[in-house]
Amino acid sequence: MSRRYETVYIFDSALEEPAITEKLNRFHALLTKDGNGTISNTSHWGKRTLAYKVKKKDTGYYVVAEFQAAANLLPEYERAVRLDEGVLRYLIVEASREQPKAVVTAGVVAEEEELDEEEA
Amino acid sequence: MRRPAKTCPVCESGARVLDYKDDRTLSRFLTERGKILPSRLSGMCARHQRQLATAIKRARQLALIPYIKGHTA
Repeated sequence: MSRRYETVYIFDSALEEPAITEKLNRFHALLTKDGNGTISNTSHWGKRTLAYKVKKKDTGYYVVAEFQAAANLLPEYERAVRLDEGVLRYLIVEASREQPKAVVTAGVVAEEEELDEEEA
Repeated sequence: MRRPAKTCPVCESGARVLDYKDDRTLSRFLTERGKILPSRLSGMCARHQRQLATAIKRARQLALIPYIKGHTA
């Protein structure tokens, strides 16, 4: 059975862009072989400051990939990602059925300020 | 005095699902130390509060938001 998944990779920011693309192609080849999977979207967020140090690094290069693949392809793929030294961290999750949209509203901020008072 | 019923900020915005990659939204539902704001304070409906908890925990793993704000070591 095939499902939709989403992977967020955090690469070592010391890596050059071509090296990262090469790694991505290698990982994704594991998913698309035998025609059982398709990569629908990859977006590069680029270099970002990490909220805390990961493997003694302060910054990471984020890439988000969405794909559809048969579940039996995942263990091999995950193993390849885990063993790669250039990947600081990764997260593979089942993609949500509905497209999330940003919830940035002024109302929320105002409410939160009021709440802080309550908490005090 | 009875407080007026709070409405869920996520439902109000029209969104059905919360995204763990959207750290700006998630950080609105954290205390100043980075804890998850309880639904009692956020006014979140039960469904969105559950989604929020999952989303925040995923975002923490990805170093998008810190486990503890202001902690350096």
